[in-house]
Amino acid sequence: MTCLEGPHSNQGPDKSCGPMAPEEELVSSSQLEEEEEENEEEEEDLDPDLAPDLEEGVDEEEEDLGDPAILSAVTNTQRGLPSSPGIKASGALGMSPASLHFLWQTLDYLSPVPFRPTHPSTSSPVRHFGPRLLPPDPYVFCSPPTSWSPRFSHLTQLHPQHQRILQLQQHSRTPRSPAKKPWSRQSDAYANLMTRKEKDWVIKVQMVQLQSEKPCLDDYYYQNYYQKLEKKEADQELLGQRSKVESLKLVTPYIQKAEAYESVVRFEGSLGQVAMSTCFSPRRAIDAVPHGTPEPEIGAASSQRLRVLSWIEKMFLQLLEIEEGKKNGPPQSCYSEQQRNQVEKLFQALKTQEQSNLEETADGFLQVLSVRKGKALVARLLPFLPRDLAVSLLLAVIHHLPLLVKRDAADQVLQMLFKPLGKYISHLTFHELLQGLQGLMLLPPGSSERPVTVVLQNQFGISLLYALLSHGAKLVSLDPSLEEPSSDHTAWTDIVILIAWEIAQMPTASLAEPLTFPSNLLPLFCRHVDKQLVQQLEATMQLAWIY
Amino acid sequence: MNYMPGTASLIEDIDKKHLVLLRDGRTLIGFLRSIDQFANLVLHQTVERIHVGKKYGDIPRGIFVVRGENVVLLGEIDLEKESDTPLQQVSIEEILEEQRVEQQTKLENEKIKVQALKDRGLSIPRADTLDEY
Repeated sequence: MTCLEGPHSNQGPDKSCGPMAPEEELVSSSQLEEEEEENEEEEEDLDPDLAPDLEEGVDEEEEDLGDPAILSAVTNTQRGLPSSPGIKASGALGMSPASLHFLWQTLDYLSPVPFRPTHPSTSSPVRHFGPRLLPPDPYVFCSPPTSWSPRFSHLTQLHPQHQRILQLQQHSRTPRSPAKKPWSRQSDAYANLMTRKEKDWVIKVQMVQLQSEKPCLDDYYYQNYYQKLEKKEADQELLGQRSKVESLKLVTPYIQKAEAYESVVRFEGSLGQVAMSTCFSPRRAIDAVPHGTPEPEIGAASSQRLRVLSWIEKMFLQLLEIEEGKKNGPPQSCYSEQQRNQVEKLFQALKTQEQSNLEETADGFLQVLSVRKGKALVARLLPFLPRDLAVSLLLAVIHHLPLLVKRDAADQVLQMLFKPLGKYISHLTFHELLQGLQGLMLLPPGSSERPVTVVLQNQFGISLLYALLSHGAKLVSLDPSLEEPSSDHTAWTDIVILIAWEIAQMPTASLAEPLTFPSNLLPLFCRHVDKQLVQQLEATMQLAWIY
Repeated sequence: MNYMPGTASLIEDIDKKHLVLLRDGRTLIGFLRSIDQFANLVLHQTVERIHVGKKYGDIPRGIFVVRGENVVLLGEIDLEKESDTPLQQVSIEEILEEQRVEQQTKLENEKIKVQALKDRGLSIPRADTLDEY
């Protein structure tokens, strides 16, 4: 398809291909279109590189056949439909006006349309469907063509040998064009039985099927792949591969929110419903609405687990909404009021889980954290939380660290929490830090294992512990007032000594390797612990670090 | 691919020689003249090729309109490479005879197998007596 201006506007015999709109503003374009169609039927190999030129305006008025002579000369490939403007046509076709409007705007020409609306209104025999517009260029669907050889898209993945063979073939084929084989002469006679218009029509139908309101969700993989490809090409271009290699992209029609329709019509005072069939709901005659059935009572433990899992799913959906909002919104660090509310709500949901007792609250949170998806949820939620909420989560995690470590034995995915939590460790005040660590030290009833021992054996645990100690040391060094003897200070030194002792006690093999090793740990231990122990510690920790 | 990049489309295959494998096992070779959105095909100068062992025979069929759902796969034939094949072309009568013989031996083998299984108390349902879905 070519644009109207250009070399193809020569006059030809008036081989009318179909009736034209009599409206004033479209007369000239329709005339040119006629010529264009003649040209098309004569020579199919039009220059594809002419820029497309679409008219913006859509004329939705009814069109009338002016000339009966033209009527009789309609070719069999062109069939008009009784058309009526706007809503009526769309209703009959079963499409929303929005998508129909889109169709009219971009893909219109004289083409055989598969569906025939059944309304009997027309008096004039043959009309044309939709307004006259410029025949669109199929290359509208994609970005400008590339000079890439072979003629496959970037999605065709060929074995490198295969690719080389094809390239050789292509290069060797081009000079050999004068040597025609008998079959080629034959096929030339039958070639292009399927005209350009028909091809475009098939493509139009296929594109209609690809309409979507949110292409980044519906077509997630292709969109992301294409973004990566573009980035790679931009980088290549920057690096010096000066050839502007542009890959083609499929641009699917983007529609606004699909209009809701009434598929069931109720008349006043009638006892039933009249079903208006559309292509989306061919025969929706009754309101079949599923009512929630009460769940049967199952065993307590399994139901509890199921409840936690379904709770996590619901929270995850909210989290996805928040993330979507952040992605679509302006790139700023302060969130809108609505987003903040959403985050708050999610946090409350995370913490409370419909339980009023404070202990059970923590328990609910722990249950969420025992599930792999729950950990992922918390890890992804943490960046959105304001400081105090995040700190409370962090403290809860520290408090129950041994339990978490034990429960994570199967999954081993606590690590994903380290980075987001680590960020908030630096926000802790000294007092909060102490609180957390003291909570950690408490020996849980009925367990003989010391919590620190358990923690040290797990990678996440030991990393968190080191990070906390390092932060504490930093705080102490920054604030000389903390050095003064006070209950806080003694508590701190006690904790440090205890942890140092624990580390020294552990056989090197069972000491887990931390994700990060803060540099101010050893000096910290040096200050509070005697030399012998320090040397022992050094040996232990260095060895563990090397491993 | 120029029309709809990133998708698989038959538009580019129009007017080229193709080999089409149908669900009933037939192999058709012809020029693809027209398609539609269901991948219904119009094949021109179609030839049904029957393969038996190293021999094959072509039955000229003319124009075929194939319903899209009956196509298993299709692929373009490289006209230059078409002739260098190790297979031997024979006449239609010969290949039909060969095919009949092949079917017969297959049926006999099948019968023996089924009998042997029956003797051991096992029964394997035959694929053609099963419902398709």
